[in-house]
Amino acid sequence: MERTLSIDLHAWRLGHRARRRNGVRLFAASVIVCACLSAALATWLPLQLSIVTVFLFAGPHNWFELRYFLMRLPVRFGKSRNFFVVAFAGIGLLTAGYLALPLLYNFTSWSSDAWSMVLASWNTLLLLWLGLLIWLRGKNKQRRDWSWSIPAALGLCSLNWLAPELFSLAIVYLHPLAALWFLDRHLRRTRPEWLRTYHQCLVMVALLLAGIVFRLIQTDALPDDNGLFWRITQHSGAQLLPGVSSHLLVSVHLFLELLHYGVWIVALPLIVPATIRAKQKPNRIWEVKTVGIARHPRGFPKLVGAALLLGLCVVAALWFGFSIDYSTTRDIYFTVAIAHVLAEAPFLLKML
Amino acid sequence: MKRMPAFCVLCIVLAAGGNTYADIARPSPSPEQPKIIFHTSMTVIPDKNARDARLQISQDSLNELKAALANTSADNSIRQRIANSPARTVIAGLCLFLSLSIGGIWLMRSAQPRGQKTVAVLLLGIAVVGAGAIITQANAGPPPSFQWRNLSQNLNANKPTYASVDIEILPEGYGMKLVVPVKNQ
Repeated sequence: MERTLSIDLHAWRLGHRARRRNGVRLFAASVIVCACLSAALATWLPLQLSIVTVFLFAGPHNWFELRYFLMRLPVRFGKSRNFFVVAFAGIGLLTAGYLALPLLYNFTSWSSDAWSMVLASWNTLLLLWLGLLIWLRGKNKQRRDWSWSIPAALGLCSLNWLAPELFSLAIVYLHPLAALWFLDRHLRRTRPEWLRTYHQCLVMVALLLAGIVFRLIQTDALPDDNGLFWRITQHSGAQLLPGVSSHLLVSVHLFLELLHYGVWIVALPLIVPATIRAKQKPNRIWEVKTVGIARHPRGFPKLVGAALLLGLCVVAALWFGFSIDYSTTRDIYFTVAIAHVLAEAPFLLKML
Repeated sequence: MKRMPAFCVLCIVLAAGGNTYADIARPSPSPEQPKIIFHTSMTVIPDKNARDARLQISQDSLNELKAALANTSADNSIRQRIANSPARTVIAGLCLFLSLSIGGIWLMRSAQPRGQKTVAVLLLGIAVVGAGAIITQANAGPPPSFQWRNLSQNLNANKPTYASVDIEILPEGYGMKLVVPVKNQ
């Protein structure tokens, strides 16, 4: 009897290990294929792919982010109350301030230096908010002193005041990388044995990025003779960095954006549960009860359902807007999308 | 009622003053400063057999000059933005001061005795490097004008003079000028 049980247990262990190995392999293969394909397409057709990518994935990736953030939101804030109050107040105020900038631009005739001051002020508020969030997060952690965040934020403020436009451009390029950090933290919690493979994939991503730079550094600027192409090159910093080929800038930004969309739309919601829980019932993304604050007895299932439904409506409205007037919808989207850029900060900090 | 004439006089004076001020000519714009785009060297060679003055540039120098010309617009725009905004520079300095002050206080308060030793070693290292930089700077070579000091004697003696030169782009004018530093002996 014992012998039979032992043999069964051994077989189960072997099967479990094999499933894990297959999961890691599938995950690594997916990352490698996606990264290589993204790099090749971003290098080959940067402007065209940028248009298609934003059209298809901009809205859905925001919906998946919303769902992920709702999943990570606690039912009761408890000791983290101050942290979340500062986080949500900051997201609201900074988003409102950012939305006011184009309106101010239309109704005032300030000089470029005055605009630099306004931009630097907004960046300063953002940095001080981030510094405060890190400090508050550190207060909730034992044996950790994160007070360094305040002098670090002030040091970055100093750099920001020297060249605010370049600082804003740095945010444009750094924001897509936050998704890779989210995935790192997610794997650290759910599948720590995958981390080594994931870090190796990140090295490959860095090599691909270096390859794109090496390949495109001497290329001519992209044609930006129509309004839409001009918008895309400006978004990537072609005006701020005239010494760098706009082809390189657009391709690098597009590559990072594709990785960003890939993590939010494919990796986090699909790959991880599908490969881990081969025999378990997978979480269906449209089920409201899969979100913690909706499933909890003291949770808010109706509110969560309404938020997700509203998100879907916004995605549909974005697609409709892109179909009617792509350029204007793109401008509006990238202005409003600052909210999701800001929202990533507190949720990432909560995972640290 | 007596105030009415006084008020009218005041209005006339203000209106006249406004017109007078409006008639003042605009201040003439300050002349645009030349931009240094390239630093290289030059040899002045007096040649008794030459029929005309010649400016000889090596191919490498010409290529470097072209590259410098291509990059100058971008480089200057960033540099000018920083240089032309004293308010932003002051705020940046203030932020840096606050960052270093608060960071220093945090280091001293948070560091363990072992950590304090590390910080002390770090500060000592920075001080040594700083002192080294000052000493090196103090021992730096003579200014570029020193190389031009014997130009007139060399020209008289028909000898070449080798010295450094900055290539500047002038917004106005025609042709080339060679401005040589001359010190009264």
